[in-house]
Amino acid sequence: MAHIPSDKNEKLPFLGRLLSWFTLPQNSKFIIGALAIVCIGLFLADFTYKKYGHFEVETYKGFYGAYGFVMFTALILLAKTLRYFIQQPEDYYGDKAIDREEYPEDQLEKLGHEDV
Amino acid sequence: MFDIFPTAFIFFAGALIVAIAPGHRLRSAIALLIPVMAAWQVYNIPEGVFARAEIFGQTLEMMRVDKLSRVFALIFCIAAFLGNLYAWHVRDRVQQLAALFYSGSALGAVFAGDLITLFFYWEGTAIASVFLIWARGTIGAYNTGLRYLIIQIMSGVILLSGAALLWRETGSIAFDKMTLGSLGTWLIFISFGMKCAFPLMHNWLQDSYPAATVTGTVILSAFTTKLAVYALARGFAGTEILIYIGAIMTLFPIFFAEIENDLRRVLAYSLNNQLGFMVVGVGIGTEMALNGTASHAFAHILYKALLFMSVGAVLFRTGTSKASELGGLCRTMPKTAIFCLIGAASISAFPLFSGFVTKSLIVDATAENHYTLIWAVLVFASAGVLSHSGIKIPYFTFFGHDSGLRPKEAPLHMLLAMGITAFLCIYIGVNPDPLYALLPYEVEYHPYTMNHVVAQLQLLCFALLAFVILMKTGLHPPEVRAINLDTDWIYRRILPDIVMSFGRGLGAVWTSAGQSAGMFFGDFYKWLEKVLGPETGVSGVRPVGTMTLWVSVLLSISLVIAYL
Repeated sequence: MAHIPSDKNEKLPFLGRLLSWFTLPQNSKFIIGALAIVCIGLFLADFTYKKYGHFEVETYKGFYGAYGFVMFTALILLAKTLRYFIQQPEDYYGDKAIDREEYPEDQLEKLGHEDV
Repeated sequence: MFDIFPTAFIFFAGALIVAIAPGHRLRSAIALLIPVMAAWQVYNIPEGVFARAEIFGQTLEMMRVDKLSRVFALIFCIAAFLGNLYAWHVRDRVQQLAALFYSGSALGAVFAGDLITLFFYWEGTAIASVFLIWARGTIGAYNTGLRYLIIQIMSGVILLSGAALLWRETGSIAFDKMTLGSLGTWLIFISFGMKCAFPLMHNWLQDSYPAATVTGTVILSAFTTKLAVYALARGFAGTEILIYIGAIMTLFPIFFAEIENDLRRVLAYSLNNQLGFMVVGVGIGTEMALNGTASHAFAHILYKALLFMSVGAVLFRTGTSKASELGGLCRTMPKTAIFCLIGAASISAFPLFSGFVTKSLIVDATAENHYTLIWAVLVFASAGVLSHSGIKIPYFTFFGHDSGLRPKEAPLHMLLAMGITAFLCIYIGVNPDPLYALLPYEVEYHPYTMNHVVAQLQLLCFALLAFVILMKTGLHPPEVRAINLDTDWIYRRILPDIVMSFGRGLGAVWTSAGQSAGMFFGDFYKWLEKVLGPETGVSGVRPVGTMTLWVSVLLSISLVIAYL
């Protein structure tokens, strides 16, 4: 399959061009900005209705946002630390596992996007 | 013969036809027709117990139909249909047969009203499914399949031992609600736990699912583990220990999923995490919680299959499912990318997607029953689901850095299978009432309240924000070509090493013992020869009179001793 470097003039299907907009570096600021606005909006939304919950903590404004943010960050950093302890090369288990093998070609249909 | 033809037999009859049918298109068509027929039967069958058979004075019940078994049976039929549609291109007769026997066995087990029938189908799922792994045809897949089979069969054997003990204790083989206590019930519990991938018994799942074929993994993902969830819901609802087991299950896989490179293994960890939610629901055991478990299993089978399908399509087109090798595929596989995003949104429980209307039943049940810590764990695990299935799978495959790969879009039948699954994920999310109507108990639950929607969106969007910040600051761990050890390291590496070195040690001891024994016995023999050999006095020839003399001396001594 052809490895084509990212190129603006590349022929892509319509949907593909649409989705690739999200991958362009110049658009990342816009995407992050939009996400930040959504987050602020969701935080402010907490002031517009009466919050209830089984636990008192659920009624705090922005509790879920803060919990999600903190726990997600903690999860990633902890998982990253875990990697130091358990990471091994792909051939660690030798031929007892599939990790170092290529997937058998005859069961695949590897085609490029302009192939017929 | 039977008052109702057991649903499993529809699959087995179909499998027999597939076994002799010429042409893979015809076989694929039969494989599609069978689940439709089965679903029609399951949907229309009245509640009750049918297809009884007498054997050794025991009654086997092959069709116990109630709302709990029906909802699981229905989703199994749907999963079989979608999996077989996705596998439309497969020419390998073995895989087609395995898929039919496997899904048929799972349906048989769901309808089993007694432990012996359950056992037969339980082992049926094990034996049929391993061929979906072996069909890959590599030495690694062969070895992985063996490990998988050993564990699956072991689970069945433990189930049978438990059933036998329970029969001796109660005189009944009925598969009903049990209370943990006797050895028999514990064995059954452990057997279910093995298939449900309880912590420390989970490794077979992450080990084997990525080793199956492109289509095999999609089919595998639906049945075995959800059958175990069903069995737990049937046998051990309200068993408190399950709440804690389930909570651990939601928690630990999210760390492994985060750093795993093979995306199909990421999904296997994620599957394990989702099972945790269902197990918590079973543990709480209230009507709301059991509804949560059943509906979550239903929704989960769909979005998990969808995710496996999308990653499978990428594997089918590029030859790899490793995150480190992929990226930017949305350019030429946009439809697959969109379906993957729908699966990702569903598993992350975004409002309007299926996970939202099912998972919240379980999470709310923990809160309602005042399990504060468990509730906090489940909410955390929900953010964790977002991290690996919601973000990692779509981002590192279809977006992220450009890998330069420009594969063709997935073939039509795969797109169709993904499209229908994606439609169902959204349909359940938007309109949960038809699913709620199928659940074992009356549902009085409204997922779309302002409170609930904003809370969930806050959780997810702020977690997403955290992801963006971690990516921008370079703190997010990069995808690298490597594997991560899990607890199966103990039986895949350490135990064999210990046995091998023990063997070597024993060999060495044996050799040196042999040598020193040889030396010792050599010397001893020489000494014996010296003392008793033909040259010595002992072996010499003596006259008969000497012997007579000594005999009379000995007799006199004994005479004296006797009189003393």
